[in-house]
Amino acid sequence: MGVSRRNFLKICAVGTAAAAGSRYFRPAQSAVREEGTVEYVRSTCSPNCTGACGFNAMVYKGRIVTLTQAADYPEQEYNPRGCLRGQSTLNLMYGPDRLKQPLIRVGKRGEGKFKAVSWDEALDHVADRLADIMKKYGPESVASMIQVPGTGYVHKGALMRLSSLYEWSVLHAYTMNGDLPAFWPMTFGVQTEELETLEWTNSRYTAIFGSNALVTRVPDAKFISIGRENGAKFIMVDPNYTPTAAKADEWIQINPATDAAMALGIVNVILEEKLYDEEFIKTNTDMPLLVRLDTQKKLMASEVKELSGRAEEYRKKIPEYRDLFVVYNNAARALFIPDPESLNRNFDPALEGEFEVNLVSGQRVKVKTVFQLLKESVSKEYAPEKAARVIAPDASKIKAYTETIRRLAREMATTKPLHIIYGASNYQWFHGDLKGRALALIVVLTGNLGKSGAGISTYAGQYRVRWPLGAWWNFKEKKNKWVTYLLWLNDEYRNGPEFKKYNKETPYPKNGVKAFVYGWGNPFDQHNMSNRMREKAANGELELIVACDFQMSTSCLWSDVVLPGVAWYEKYDLTATVSHPYVQLQQPAVEPLFQCMPEIWYYKEIAHRIARRLGNEEILKQVEEFYPDPKHFRKEEEARKNGTWTLKLAREIAQDASLEAAELMLRTGGEQVEGITVEMLKKGPVRLKIPTPGNRQLMFWEQVELKQPYPPVSYPAPLPKTARFVKSGRIEFYKDEDVFIDLGETLPMHKAPFVDSEHRTAGIKDKYTFALVTRNALYRVHSTHSNNMTMLELQNFKPKVWINPKALEEKRLKEGDLVEVFNNRGKVYGYAVADPGLHHDVLIFEEGWWSRYTRNTSYNTLTYPWIKASHYIYFVPGVWEPTTAWNETAVDVKKAEGVENA
Amino acid sequence: MPKFGMVIDLNRCIGCRSCAVVCKIHNSLPPGTWWQRVETVGSTEHMVPSGENPDVSETFLPVPCMHCENAPCVKACPVGATWQREDGIVLVDYERCIGCRYCMTACPYGVRQFNWQDSRASFKEGFKAAGFEEDWFKDKEYRYGYPFDHKTGDGRIVYTPKRPKGVVEKCTFCVQYVDKGLLPACVRGCSGNARTFGDLNDPDSDISKILRGRNVFKLLADLGTEPKVFYIAPTRKEGKGGINYGKEL
Repeated sequence: MGVSRRNFLKICAVGTAAAAGSRYFRPAQSAVREEGTVEYVRSTCSPNCTGACGFNAMVYKGRIVTLTQAADYPEQEYNPRGCLRGQSTLNLMYGPDRLKQPLIRVGKRGEGKFKAVSWDEALDHVADRLADIMKKYGPESVASMIQVPGTGYVHKGALMRLSSLYEWSVLHAYTMNGDLPAFWPMTFGVQTEELETLEWTNSRYTAIFGSNALVTRVPDAKFISIGRENGAKFIMVDPNYTPTAAKADEWIQINPATDAAMALGIVNVILEEKLYDEEFIKTNTDMPLLVRLDTQKKLMASEVKELSGRAEEYRKKIPEYRDLFVVYNNAARALFIPDPESLNRNFDPALEGEFEVNLVSGQRVKVKTVFQLLKESVSKEYAPEKAARVIAPDASKIKAYTETIRRLAREMATTKPLHIIYGASNYQWFHGDLKGRALALIVVLTGNLGKSGAGISTYAGQYRVRWPLGAWWNFKEKKNKWVTYLLWLNDEYRNGPEFKKYNKETPYPKNGVKAFVYGWGNPFDQHNMSNRMREKAANGELELIVACDFQMSTSCLWSDVVLPGVAWYEKYDLTATVSHPYVQLQQPAVEPLFQCMPEIWYYKEIAHRIARRLGNEEILKQVEEFYPDPKHFRKEEEARKNGTWTLKLAREIAQDASLEAAELMLRTGGEQVEGITVEMLKKGPVRLKIPTPGNRQLMFWEQVELKQPYPPVSYPAPLPKTARFVKSGRIEFYKDEDVFIDLGETLPMHKAPFVDSEHRTAGIKDKYTFALVTRNALYRVHSTHSNNMTMLELQNFKPKVWINPKALEEKRLKEGDLVEVFNNRGKVYGYAVADPGLHHDVLIFEEGWWSRYTRNTSYNTLTYPWIKASHYIYFVPGVWEPTTAWNETAVDVKKAEGVENA
Repeated sequence: MPKFGMVIDLNRCIGCRSCAVVCKIHNSLPPGTWWQRVETVGSTEHMVPSGENPDVSETFLPVPCMHCENAPCVKACPVGATWQREDGIVLVDYERCIGCRYCMTACPYGVRQFNWQDSRASFKEGFKAAGFEEDWFKDKEYRYGYPFDHKTGDGRIVYTPKRPKGVVEKCTFCVQYVDKGLLPACVRGCSGNARTFGDLNDPDSDISKILRGRNVFKLLADLGTEPKVFYIAPTRKEGKGGINYGKEL
């Protein structure tokens, strides 16, 4: 400033004179002309939140100074998207934790002592160590990890490409994050499905079970309000009163992890009062299939005397991932083999009934339809009174809950379309799959699939590979190898009898995991279950840890080499998400800061340097194809040879190569991206070409409308790998693999939390009576933004523990006390908040705090890597694989003692 | 001559605080300065309900400057540093403000803040509270925020990215944007589509239609300040089981 009044008036005179003659003069217009040029670049905000929101970066003097939502989605209703985190991302890009140059550890792991080195030194060091480990323990002992590929098909794809080139094992982050709801592959044979969020306004009835969408789906939450404005009903079922519950017409408080009981209570009423869609069930599900009562296995056509001949002929015509089952055809009054490859139905299968069948073996066995078995089990165990007993937080409310279950069942069955949103903090329990199967029953029995506004959705994680990406992700079509995170963490289970009994195909590296090459994630905070990751780092079991990040996170402190990357305003990348079917580009608004490099570059460098050390002639020749076009690789090598190489040149080449990789994936991606080019994407978001009316992202439209068999493909898994989960080609509620029979889980049922996990250890049940739910915070995207100044301000710089006021009193604590949440595995500190909306037996700690904010304690020391046996009878990474159950954690709470500045 | 006002729909407000944050970033506000606040009615902690289980409720309330037609702050200012422009926006002239803070006492909404210190000091404090060790903030130049000073037609400075010490500041309806025909940052940045901004003098504007058609209230209406920020009251469906169910064909 420093302008005196006199100068001031002088300037005004000049300004006014200039403005008066201008065509653009408007009242009260600024009299000071803007100095310097301003540029706007549109990119896509890409932390792991599923938002994928377009932002315009205002660039002034080489730096981004503001971020404004681009609001350029063709469907106006989507605009503007964005949220408080995306808007304040500048605090991360230009903040104190921004990485500047490559680092090599000099102190102990976790200490944070590093020396800054040149790129050459860092990359050579990484290549040396990796080549050694690969030679000593085999390449599969190197485990790599990317988080949620949807946020960057190009650069995250580069680490996948590198992993496939050298046949490293990849940790699938989707199951590592516990985001895979296991009921999907079991019931529908898919990874997951979801409606695009715009479709929420087309639902006449939305039921949210344990998803705090107002906090976790900020850019989409408005659709709930808009749905209500259009007259739709919205109910929320949750042990706790969340902001999402506040928006609902009804909040139904239930005991933690009892959703299956409530869902089956609803199913009971639907079956009793015949509110189900008979034709839909007969066409789309396994309900009419016959099940042997003696073996509990589905009756196979080949077993049946009168059908075996036909079955043998038929078998030759169907793919090997299908099988032939049996129904009783009412029309012909005979047993019948439904076609597993088509849902077209010219027969009328019995839904209910018990029959006797002659087998080829000579036996005569009793069989019942799946529907009959379901009816019997549900009417016996889940009458509304019984279900109410399980879910009601208070015995005095059982009668009211009984009525509520009845009423909601009638509402949900008759108000169409119905949409159920099933949230992660709900299914991330040991028996989350049972809850999902039970909830899916409501939607399927009432025919709420394959239509606008109808279905069941789970939105956790921007994992979705929306079209085939193999041309980039797999180096010359080499397949990725995999290692399951929970098996890595839980050695004793892996070596135990249950795993050996049921494991058929889940791989594990022969010599274990010796090197960990990870990027875009913070596993030493976020995945440090029972403190095991840090232990493996501290005791040397992990011989090498290589980090890729743009900030010095906790995990970087635990790494041996830190390679500085860039955020989404410094590079090109391709994004997609589950929340909507738009393909978008990330674009560089500014040069990568300091010596940071787009990640594709250093993974290419590592590929090259390892090749030189391995002495494999073939790979050495091929490695120039790491970038999509060898000319890029050669150009950089030329520059190195004749001394003209600079970081700037390498960056330019890397940015070009990134665009090429994006083009490659679009060109080879098939129908859904037909005709979509990078040039189009530079102008704005482009909708995928989904073969549904209006290209809308609906679920199972092709199955319900076009009668194609289940499942649709879940990229990148080849169809045979997932279709075998539902061999009948239909939605399957009856699972008859051995493990399901052993567990008694052939049909959806309710199983209480902790009984099969925590309480198996003596004494735990009485000692730790709270369930710890580590919900997602408004102020972070998992642990991104944990160090964002503005977000910290809004939280008063304090990690908190939310407790029911009565429980707080019982524990003799006051609001504002620094408390310790603990169990026999670990502890975490937070400041107590009394929350009258909380269930008495639930404690809430918000995940994502870097441990430096919790005085080096961590909420994940409290969790445990439980493994459910039914989750590894097949292995399709990220689709059928043991998935993490964060909330299966029993804890207690007390006042924190001996802590400074409490 | 337009008369600018704003409507915030409390049915649509999801309490995400994105408006508060985008305001902060665009207006280059340092730690400790908030021109817009979003709180939960009846609770000291955001997103914690009030009441007793199961009769709990949660309503969010964003509060920017009300840009009152009958602004007490304008009346209280002894030097005429704060005034209402013809288009209704109440502004502070940073060069005239003498920092007496009478306006802060006068304002019943608490939306004004005084700059006790230089913004560099605020950043330093903020980073210290966040546990960052060194005074890394060596780069004096970089600030997030709209980078240019903005003056009104008669030459008064009403926005600057360099927060002046010793003056009072507050929400300006993003005058630097409105003067260019853009909407305020909080309106553009609200992902709940809860805000409308426009010309109260134009009977066909969106805002005028809302004020005629919806159940709208003003904060502290009985004080007679005549705020130009209006709120659509939150509504609930009456009673449980209000849906008439019948078997769908």
